[in-house]
Amino acid sequence: MNLRTFLSALSGVLLASVLPVFGADVVDRPEKLTYPPLTFEPPNPSQYRVQLKTGPVAYVVPDRTLPLVTISVLLRAGSYLDPKGQEGLSEFTGYLLTKGGTEAKTAEELEERLAFLAANLGSGIGDDSGAVNLNLLSKDLPEGLQILRSVLTQPRFQSNKLELYRQQSIQSMKQRNDESTAIQSREQERLAYGDHFWASRFTTEKSVNSLTQDDLRSFHRKWIHPGNFVVAASGDFDRDAMIAQLETLFGNWPYTGQTPPAIPTNIIMAPPGIYFVNKDVNQGRVSVLLPGVLRDDPDFLAIQVMNDILGGGGFTSRIMNRVRSDEGLAYGAGSGFPGGVYYPLAFQAGFASKSRSVNYATSIVLEEMARIASTPVSQEELETAKRSFIDTFPENFNTKAKVASLFARDEFTGRYATQPDYWQKWRPRVEAVTQEDVLRVAKEHLHPTKAVILMVGQEKEIQKGDPSHPVTFQQLSTGPVTQVPLRDPLTMEPLPLGTN
Amino acid sequence: MNFLRLTGVLVASALPAFAQQIPVIERHLSNGFKLLLVERHEEPRIAGGWVVKVGSSNERLGTTGIAHLFEHMMFKGTPTLGTKDAARDLQLIAEQERVRGEMRKEEALMRLSLRRGQLDDVTKPENFTPRYKELEVEFKKLIDEQRQLLVKNEFDRVYTTAGASGMNAFTSEDMTGYFITVPANKLELWCWMESERLLRPVFREFYAERDVVYEERRMRVESTPIGKFGEQFTAMFWDAHPYMWPVLGWPSDIPNITKRDADEFYALFYQPQNITLILVGDFKADAAEAMVRRYFERIPAGTQPPPEVITREPDQVAEKRMYAEAETNPQVDILWKTVGFQHQDSYPLDILQLLLSNRTGRLYKGLVLGSEVATDTYAVQDSKKWAGYFNIGGEAKDGKTPQDVEQGIYAELDKLKEELVPADELQKVKNQFAAFEYRKLTANFPIFIQVLQNEGLGDWREVNEANAKLQAVTAEDVQRVARKYFTREARAVAIYNRKPGSGSASEDPDLVGLSADQKPVVRRIIESLLAEKDVAKLKQALAQMQAQTGTPDPKRQQLQNIIQKKVAARIAELEKQ
Repeated sequence: MNLRTFLSALSGVLLASVLPVFGADVVDRPEKLTYPPLTFEPPNPSQYRVQLKTGPVAYVVPDRTLPLVTISVLLRAGSYLDPKGQEGLSEFTGYLLTKGGTEAKTAEELEERLAFLAANLGSGIGDDSGAVNLNLLSKDLPEGLQILRSVLTQPRFQSNKLELYRQQSIQSMKQRNDESTAIQSREQERLAYGDHFWASRFTTEKSVNSLTQDDLRSFHRKWIHPGNFVVAASGDFDRDAMIAQLETLFGNWPYTGQTPPAIPTNIIMAPPGIYFVNKDVNQGRVSVLLPGVLRDDPDFLAIQVMNDILGGGGFTSRIMNRVRSDEGLAYGAGSGFPGGVYYPLAFQAGFASKSRSVNYATSIVLEEMARIASTPVSQEELETAKRSFIDTFPENFNTKAKVASLFARDEFTGRYATQPDYWQKWRPRVEAVTQEDVLRVAKEHLHPTKAVILMVGQEKEIQKGDPSHPVTFQQLSTGPVTQVPLRDPLTMEPLPLGTN
Repeated sequence: MNFLRLTGVLVASALPAFAQQIPVIERHLSNGFKLLLVERHEEPRIAGGWVVKVGSSNERLGTTGIAHLFEHMMFKGTPTLGTKDAARDLQLIAEQERVRGEMRKEEALMRLSLRRGQLDDVTKPENFTPRYKELEVEFKKLIDEQRQLLVKNEFDRVYTTAGASGMNAFTSEDMTGYFITVPANKLELWCWMESERLLRPVFREFYAERDVVYEERRMRVESTPIGKFGEQFTAMFWDAHPYMWPVLGWPSDIPNITKRDADEFYALFYQPQNITLILVGDFKADAAEAMVRRYFERIPAGTQPPPEVITREPDQVAEKRMYAEAETNPQVDILWKTVGFQHQDSYPLDILQLLLSNRTGRLYKGLVLGSEVATDTYAVQDSKKWAGYFNIGGEAKDGKTPQDVEQGIYAELDKLKEELVPADELQKVKNQFAAFEYRKLTANFPIFIQVLQNEGLGDWREVNEANAKLQAVTAEDVQRVARKYFTREARAVAIYNRKPGSGSASEDPDLVGLSADQKPVVRRIIESLLAEKDVAKLKQALAQMQAQTGTPDPKRQQLQNIIQKKVAARIAELEKQ
C-alpha cells in the first residue's frame, strides 16, 4: 500500500472524529459521567451456619428461584495422608467413592440411575482437602440424599472399577512429558517446595500398582466420617427441613474414624539460579519463583494490591503492559501471590514467548519486580487496583451456591473460627492500603536476585536470543544454570540429560 | 419415571411459568442495531456485550486470521481514550504505516528467497535483509515516540477502576463476541465505552498486537503435542468451505495483515445492522433501552449489508484418512459432515451426541467397559452457522491400536443404525436436556453467553426453543439420522500413534541392549504389528523370517530375534481372541 491510499483511508477516520458525535448529552470522557449510588452488604455467615447434632457444621442457604439443589460435603483428607510408596491412595479413594458403587448398588446401576435423574454426583480428594458434590432437581432430593449416604458410608470400590482407574491413571502418566505446560507445573512444584515435600511427590506406576481394595477401604474408614466433614447446601428447600435431612444423612454413622494429623509444612525452596528443562517446542515457558506468604499474614491484602499492580491485574498490570502490549512478546504474562492456608505458597511470575525472546522477556519481568520494590506506585495505579477489588466484591456472593460454598470453605480452613467478620471487614481493609504499604511489602517479598527461574524450551535457540535485545543467562541470575532432566513418566526417575 | 411426570412435579411446586424460558426483550435501534435485554435482579451487576456476525469463515486467503486480530484491536482505545495527544497519535500511526509499507516490500523479497530455498524461515532475525533491519530501527523510533503519548491500556483501566470484571472477547468461525460485567449503577459507563469504541476505534499498537497473536498461535497450536495435527486435519476435512482454515489464521497470513486491511474489514462487517447488543442483569428494561439508544444511535447505519458466505461444502464422495506420529498416546479422531444451525436433523443429532457420551453412554460402555479397547471416548455434535460436523474419538488402551478403537466406534454406530434406541435410554438423555433448562439459568453471565452464541449463529430464540424440539425427537428420527450421516464416504479419520522416542516411556525390556538407531525401527515394527489383524499373514511373515535366520552379523541377529518374538506374541494374542 502506498502513502496516498493510506492517507485516504485515514481521512475517513479523521472525518468521523470531527463529526458532531458528542451530542449535547454525551460527555467526551468517561470520568465526567455520574452514577446513582450502589450499596451492597455481604451476607453474614452466622445467618446460615448450623452446628448439626450429628457432628458437621453446615451452611444452609435456601434459594427458591429454580428447582435445583446443590449439596457439597467437604472432607478433611488429602494426598498428604498418602503413605510413602502408596502415592495415589487418596486420589483413588476420592474418585472411586462415587464411581465404584455402593453395598446396595453396583457402580453401573448407580450411574445409570443418576443419569436418568439427570443428577450430577462427583467426588475427589486433592492435596489438602476433598469433596463430594451432588446437584439435582429438588423433586429427587430424598433419593439423592439416600444415594449420598450410601456412597459416604458404604462405598463398594468395585474391583473392576479400581482396575480400570488404575489402567487409565498409568496410561495418562505416559503423557507427562508431552506438554511443556505439564513439565513446567511439575518442576515448578519441586523447585518451590523441595523434592522431599509431600506436595512434590507424584504417583508412579509402582505406587499405583500397589493399591488394593483393602487399602482404599481402610483409607475410607479412617478419614471419611462426619467428624471430618463441613457441609454446604443451597437451593430449592426449606431451611428446617434441610437441617433435619442432614441430621438423618449423618446420624448413626456405622464406624468411628480418626482425626487427621496436621498438614506438614516443611517446605524448602531451591537455591537462586536458572533451572533449564530442554524441550523441543518453539515457545519457551518461564516461571520466576520466590518464597511466598500465608493467607493470614497481616500484610496479605497489601500484598494482593501490590501483586495486582505488578502482574495480577491483567491489562492494567505492569508485566502485561510491558511484555505483551509494548513488546508483543507473549499472549499471557503476569504474576500471582496466592497466600497459603497451611504453608506459604510461592510467588510466581511467568509467560510463554518464542524461543528467541525468552531471555529478553524474563529481563523485563525481573526489572518490574525490582522497580515496584524500589519506587512507590502511582496514586492512579493504587486506586485502580483497590477499586477493582472493592467494586467487584459482590461477585463473590452472586449465587446462593457460591455463598454456601465460600462460607463452608472458611469453616473448613478455620478462618470462620478466628475471623467470623472477615468478609464484613474485607473492603475497609483493602481501602486502607497505601502507596507506602505497597512499597514496603514489595521490598520485603520481591528480591529479583533471589529468584528461582525455571525455563522449559529449546535451550540453544533461547541462548541465541534476539540480537536487538541481547540478554544472557548471567544477566538474569547471579546463581548457577542447572540442567533439569526430564523424568521417566512411569517411575519419575531422572532421564539422561538430552532426552526431549 | 417419565418426562410427563417431571412436568407434573414442576407444576405442583408452583414454579413461575417462565422458569424454563429466558425472558428476552427484543428491541431495534433506528440505525440497525438489535438490542436484547434480560432483567434479572439476583445480584447488583450487569453482564453486557455484543456480537458481530463475522468470523474466520468471512475471511479471504492471504489475510486469514483478520477477524481474530481485529478482536484484539478493539481494545486499543478511541481518539480520547488511550493517548495524551490524539492528533499526534494519528500522525504517528500514519508514519508507521509508511515505514511498514517499505518493510512489506522487503518482506516480499524475503518470501521470494524462501521460495527459492535461500532462507529457512523469514521470521528469524538473522534472515532479515539489511534494508529491513534499517527500517525496523526507523519503525522502533516511531513506536518509542508514540509510547510517550500512550495511556497504556486505558480502555481496560477505565473499566477496572469502575469495578467492572471479566472483560474479554472471542472469535470463532462464525462470530466475534465482546463482553464484560459492570456494577448495576454503571450501565451508562458501559454505553459510553462500547458505543465510543464502535464509533471511533483507533487501531494503535497494531504491529505489536500482531506479534501477540502470533504468540497466541505458538501457545495454542505450535507448541502443543497435537495442535498442528488438528489444524491439518480440519483443513483436510473441509474441501471448499472457509471453515477449513484456523480461526487464528495461517502462519504466513498473520504477519501479512495490514492496518488498511483492518480498516476495510471494520467498514464492511462492524456495521450496526450486523451487530446485536445484549444486556443481562439488574436494570429496568425501558430505562436501559432509552440509555442504549442515546449512545448507540449516534453510530451511522451501514450503507450495504455485509456479504454472506456463498461457498457451500460439496458432498464428500470418498473417505479421507490421516496418519500422524505425535507426542501423545495413540488415539483416533473421526469427523463426519452433518448439518448447520437449526437444521431439523440437528436435534436428533444432538440426542445422538448424548446417547454416545458420558459414563453411561454407548461409547464408554461399549469401548471402555465392554471390549476394553479404549481408555476414554468422546462425541461432539457441532452445528455451525453454515455447515456442521459430528466428531467421535477416543484413546486406545495400552496394547490396542487406534484402529481397534475406530472399529469399535463403527460397531456402536451400526447398532444405532440397525436397532431403535430403547424408550428408557432415549428418555434418559431427554431428562438431561430438560434439567439443563434450569442449570443454564443460574447466573447472569451463563445466560448472557448462551443468548449471544445463539444470536451469533443466527437466532437468539433458539435458546428457548431448542428443548421442545429435542423432547420431540423419536427413536425413528435417531435411527434415520444415524443411517444418513454416519457413512464411510462422509467421514475423515485421523490416526495418531506415539512419535517414536517421545514421551520417554519406560523401556520395553526386550529392547534393552539394542543400539539407539535400532530402537525406533523396532518400535515402529511393533506398532505396525499391533495394527495387523490377519493371523495368516503374520504366520507367513514369521515363517519367512525364520527361514532367513543364521545371518553372520550378531547385532542384526539380535534384532531379528526380537522381531520374531513380537510377531509370535501378536499371533498368540490374535488366536486367543
